[in-house]
Amino acid sequence: MNRQAAIVGIGAFPFSKSSGTSEWRMGSLAALEALRDAGLTPRDVDGVFRSTMEATTESAMARGLGIPDVRAFGAVDYGGGGIVPMVSHAALAVESGMAEVVLTWRARVRKSGPRPWMQRGSGGSSDQQHYERVFGIARPVDSTAILARLWAERYNWKPEDLGRIAITIREHARRNPMAMMQRELTMEQYLGSRMIADPLRLFDCCLESDGAVALVLTTAERARDLRPDPAYVTAYAMATGPDSYNISQWYGEPLGRTQGWYAARELWRRTELRPADIDAIQWYDAFTPEVAISFEEYGFCGEGEVMEMLAAGEHAPYNTAGGCMSEAYLHGINLFSEAVRQVRGTSTDQVDGAEHVLVTSGNTTPNGAMILSGSPR
Amino acid sequence: MSLFPVPAPDQIGEPFWAAVAERRLTVQRCPACREWTWQPKPVCPACGSPDLTWEAVSGRATVCSWTTPRPPVLPAFESLVPFVVLLVELDEGVRMVGQLVGDAGDLLRTDGTDVTFSIGTRVTLRWRDQDGQWLPSWAVDR
Ligand SMILES: [Zn+2]
Repeated sequence: MNRQAAIVGIGAFPFSKSSGTSEWRMGSLAALEALRDAGLTPRDVDGVFRSTMEATTESAMARGLGIPDVRAFGAVDYGGGGIVPMVSHAALAVESGMAEVVLTWRARVRKSGPRPWMQRGSGGSSDQQHYERVFGIARPVDSTAILARLWAERYNWKPEDLGRIAITIREHARRNPMAMMQRELTMEQYLGSRMIADPLRLFDCCLESDGAVALVLTTAERARDLRPDPAYVTAYAMATGPDSYNISQWYGEPLGRTQGWYAARELWRRTELRPADIDAIQWYDAFTPEVAISFEEYGFCGEGEVMEMLAAGEHAPYNTAGGCMSEAYLHGINLFSEAVRQVRGTSTDQVDGAEHVLVTSGNTTPNGAMILSGSPR
Repeated sequence: MSLFPVPAPDQIGEPFWAAVAERRLTVQRCPACREWTWQPKPVCPACGSPDLTWEAVSGRATVCSWTTPRPPVLPAFESLVPFVVLLVELDEGVRMVGQLVGDAGDLLRTDGTDVTFSIGTRVTLRWRDQDGQWLPSWAVDR
């Protein structure tokens, strides 16, 4: 396609433990901020995409904001795996000409609302949880722990190796005033934190947050007229891999490979860029092992080498605003606002001259990856 | 009403739970290509045959991984923690999760550190009664 998409607006409703307001209102305020950031108004928007886990529909969002004509809309499933695919649908709508200006967002009342895994299963037996929940595998962390154990045993990961990831992300968060977690995290505190699902501790897990982030995409051509620093969509990919389930990564072959491996393969197939060209990474980080596994599966190091690489510090900076672990957990959409800030040069932990920034979504479900760049392709 | 998340089977999974009620562990198998598949599916994902059948498995398996869920857990499991959930690969080649039990099918109340097993340990099917629901569970071979 000749048309290229770019992110021209980012907006947020402040991240907190209790917003005291609704997802619809938080999403709307974030959307208005993103549109102001882009120099646009709701009347300019003609495409709206959401997560299926978003309580507010595209039409509710449109009528609430006064968007008169929506020409492209849709919803993407899979929670934290679906955020890059959701933004990819927005980019597809722009690139195909279905829409000129697309709004997409994620708003959550998670910290003060119910946990989805606490609800009794109501589906039929085709619901994967019926064959896991009865045995006590009910939370995302339980399935992730089983995957983490596989990798830890195979490649001799030590508790400190995962701790280093949590601490690195926390240090980035401490430079970001928007991040929920501002306190220092020491290795002693990490190692002393309680187990949630062995081998994963409290500080291996992301936050539970209220808040919202909205993004506005348009064509590269229009983006240049709107602002001097658009974040151009250079490449994107979606993938499931074989025998795809949610979070439980052990039904398919080979054992231990995540659905992120397939997103990585698709991404690198769609661009001439290579891992060495990436200046900053915003990994989906609901749990620390996802970061380590992603470094390997996206080809930033050889098999079994990730912990050595991270210990040596020989890697592109990652999750530079604190990610899901320490900024906020909104299914990872805040990874996009930080990727845009890196490309603009306005991050609170700016990587000098960041040109190409990689963003991923949850690698243990159907998922995707996108590269945002400072120049059009 | 029990808080335990008892399965509400639909047509695809009903034969599995019916067999479980008789303490038989069955897995879908394709009569055409002979592939086993787990979890339950409407047709054979290997060859497209519409006639998957449920066959008894040997009940012999190997540990692939495991975890120990800690609070906060579902209310039904609060009085059971800590216990070990194993990921096992059946000798038939499919992988499923199940709890670690003793030879009598009793749930081992352990965080796993005092039980001798690791990836590769052989385990055998045992049946555990949870509030009247039989659950296929796994005991370490001696
Ligand atoms: Zn078949």
